[in-house]
Amino acid sequence: MIKSLFLFLTLFLLACSSPKEEPLLLSTNQWIGYSPLFYAQEKGYLDELNIKLSNSVSLGEASNIFLISKAQLVTGTQHEYNLLKNEMNSIIPIILLSRSNGGDMILSNQSLEAIKKSKNITVYLEVDSINKEMIEDFIKTYNLDSKYMHFINKDQAKIQNIKFTNLKDILIVTYIPNNLVLEKRGFKELASTNKPDTLLVIDSICTSKEILEQNKMRLEALKLVIDKSIQEIMNDKVRAHELIKKELGNLSYEEFSNALETIKWINKPSQEFLQKIDSIGYKRENLL
Amino acid sequence: MKQTLSIKLFSLLSIFLLMGGISLVFFNFYSSSKANIETLLKSNVQTNIFNLKHYLDSNLLENNINEIKAHLDTRAAINDVVDNIEIKDEHAGIIYSTKSDFKLSTAKKCIPIFEISNTNIFYNDCYSTKVKLYRGLKPYYYRVNVYLSRPYIDSLLHNQTIELIIEYFISLFLLLILAWTLVSKTIKTPLERLRQFAYYENEPPNEFFIQELESIRYSLKMTFKRLQKEQKELYKLSTRDELSGLYNKRSLIEKIEWLISEKKKKGETFAIILLDLDNFKTVNDSLGHNIGDKVLKEISQLLVSSVEKKDLVSRIGGDEFVIVLPEIDMDTRIIKVLDKIKTNIFAPNILESVKYRLTASMGVAIFPKDGKDVNILMRHADIAMYKSKELGKNDYHFYTENFNEDLQNKITMQNLLINALENDYFKLYYQAKVDIKTQKVSSCEALIRLIHPQKGLIPPNDFISIAEENNFIIELGYWVIKESVRQLKAWENTPLKNMKISINLSAKQFNDKKLVEKLQEYTKNIDRKKLDIELTESVFAENFDTQYTLINQIKSLGFSLSLDDFGTGYSSLSYLKNIPFDIIKIDKTFIDDLDTRNGQEFVSMIIHIAKMLKLHVVAEGVETEKQREYLDSIGCKFYQGYLFSRPLAAKQYELLLSDENSL
Repeated sequence: MIKSLFLFLTLFLLACSSPKEEPLLLSTNQWIGYSPLFYAQEKGYLDELNIKLSNSVSLGEASNIFLISKAQLVTGTQHEYNLLKNEMNSIIPIILLSRSNGGDMILSNQSLEAIKKSKNITVYLEVDSINKEMIEDFIKTYNLDSKYMHFINKDQAKIQNIKFTNLKDILIVTYIPNNLVLEKRGFKELASTNKPDTLLVIDSICTSKEILEQNKMRLEALKLVIDKSIQEIMNDKVRAHELIKKELGNLSYEEFSNALETIKWINKPSQEFLQKIDSIGYKRENLL
Repeated sequence: MKQTLSIKLFSLLSIFLLMGGISLVFFNFYSSSKANIETLLKSNVQTNIFNLKHYLDSNLLENNINEIKAHLDTRAAINDVVDNIEIKDEHAGIIYSTKSDFKLSTAKKCIPIFEISNTNIFYNDCYSTKVKLYRGLKPYYYRVNVYLSRPYIDSLLHNQTIELIIEYFISLFLLLILAWTLVSKTIKTPLERLRQFAYYENEPPNEFFIQELESIRYSLKMTFKRLQKEQKELYKLSTRDELSGLYNKRSLIEKIEWLISEKKKKGETFAIILLDLDNFKTVNDSLGHNIGDKVLKEISQLLVSSVEKKDLVSRIGGDEFVIVLPEIDMDTRIIKVLDKIKTNIFAPNILESVKYRLTASMGVAIFPKDGKDVNILMRHADIAMYKSKELGKNDYHFYTENFNEDLQNKITMQNLLINALENDYFKLYYQAKVDIKTQKVSSCEALIRLIHPQKGLIPPNDFISIAEENNFIIELGYWVIKESVRQLKAWENTPLKNMKISINLSAKQFNDKKLVEKLQEYTKNIDRKKLDIELTESVFAENFDTQYTLINQIKSLGFSLSLDDFGTGYSSLSYLKNIPFDIIKIDKTFIDDLDTRNGQEFVSMIIHIAKMLKLHVVAEGVETEKQREYLDSIGCKFYQGYLFSRPLAAKQYELLLSDENSL
């Protein structure tokens, strides 16, 4: 009798102490390259994995959320990856999403020639993002002198509010879909990532080594969900647009369809591509 | 033997296990609360650092620290969690701290904010992050250290811990009391009651709340009920005679012993009758034992039917029976029972076409006179029974000779009274009621006398009480009425034609429902005014209302009524007031007392009251002239007594009145 009571108590204690799976928070922002994530969220694929999205206004904000350990996963370009690595050594890219194929661009109220001649250029950019690499590549490609440039750091939400004017020479570093409003106001594209030999902008999901070890199976499942979502988006863009347009600033189907043209999916990269990105810190052994 | 556990110990063990469970729940709750606080605190720190970093990312420029000092100070001041914010240049060291007196030496190592998930927030004091600034497009970094308020963090956990410990002990205490009360009320106490019930077989406990316990209680109750029934049947088998169904000898002895103890306490008596069938052996020999047994059964039933329910009949072996009469307040009851048994046994019977007639010899012993214990009583009853056998059988005999003689005398007298009535041995004697002034006689009192041919005159005192005892007095009373009527009729054409006769009726006569009817019938041929009925106050002692109605009926027939022996009984004036008496008769004892002052005053008072109530007064037992004179002086109109004449037979009475010329 006493033994039975103790056995019951032990089972009761074990039942009480069974662990519960913690949710994983993925810090991200509004970018056509992250469409598979929004799609997976709307379809409920992420819920099945107990993964939630946290949508920020900029890549920098998304990185900060990850940095303060509010989120366990983060999306970003190699710029964010390197910045975060500067603070935490354990960060690694685990899932490749897309590379920009015109999705990142430099807009201006002037022509390229006028810019080249200008001695006073106001440059709006999200300095703590790939925008910085974009403008540096632009300066280098067109042999411009940065001393004539006045850099104003703004997040993309604020950048969208810039009014068209001819009173000063303006360069805006932005990316889809933030460019659409600006182009409607009259800004013209001077450079973008769809041009050969321009900057390679890679978007991926990063996390820490510890998180990867603790949630490997879930993250592998996430990789499969992303593959599936990309497949479904590309197969039925209309349906995909309906589902995720609100996550991308209510862009029209045409804009959505065009935007998809400005990126290339790299969730299933070739060996050459992997070799190419190895030099900028994307180690193949870490990729799922 | 299998190891057992008391309910108390089991309950305690269960309660302790429950307490363990509760402790665990509390511990889990505490851990959960601690985890929640930790999560909230971490979130707070993360949010603070995130906002700070966001602010600094947007607002911190090289060499503009003074412009954001106020903001940093306010941020640190309003936030309970943050104790200090420190901004360090990677090369130049601290460029600003919100606490000027903050001692670096006391500060612990700052942990990068992204490691917050892996740290214990309650023990780490500082978290850091980097803020990137740009010189054009060239980045450089400031480190931001955020120090947490140690007292605030400690208080969060401390307060929660204290509250939980208090709640834990209060809950534990209340639970302990509740559990113990519940166990005690629903299990322990019922089980103890069941144990007591099972052990003592006392009153079954009330229904229990717990179904299983109630089932046991009900089963026990039913089992005990069945056992009691079986016990009773066994007891009956052990106390009854198998053949007759009467009590056996052992049971008889027990009951007599119990009766002795009871009667001894109350100072009362009881009788045992030992009965032996005469020559029963011949029944067995001639008719066989089978018939003999059936005869014994018949006799047993006959004995039971001969006595009352309160009496006890027992067969103590063979053809011997014992009858116990627990109540013998009247000696004659024993005789009645004996006679009844004797008669019933002697009556002819038919059993399986065989005619038989039996007799029995009986011996009687009376407690305590004939013995104070059961053995002596039985022995003496046996001796008395053998005496009956010796004297010719078919009779009974008492162990004590004197008692036997008294009873025999009483029986003789009862038989004599019946015989006397049949043979006209009763006579009425008449005593004159005399006018106290004129000495004239207009009425007389009829007094009964028994004149036996062999025994001579038997005074009323010797037979009236016996006649009352067996209600013979009623029959005798009617004889007196009829004889008085006959005498009045006889005097109708004589000088005594106006003579009035008073007759005495016993109180028992008034219990006869036919009294009025018979009075009416017997006196229909005379003038009823000539018949006066004397009765004593004892008539009204019981059932006053009934007797009052009866008296009024008698009165309405035309008889006059006299209250006899006034002053010796209950002497309630209300009788005089309510009952329509015509005459009151002062008892002889008061007349005998007339030579005293008190006696005189008392008689004077009676006469005075009678005058007031307009009643005639007759003084009884007047024997001297002095008494007569005094009675005359106080206004008494009539007297009766030896001064004038003793009671006389009718012819002598007639002669007396003719001689005296008193009519």
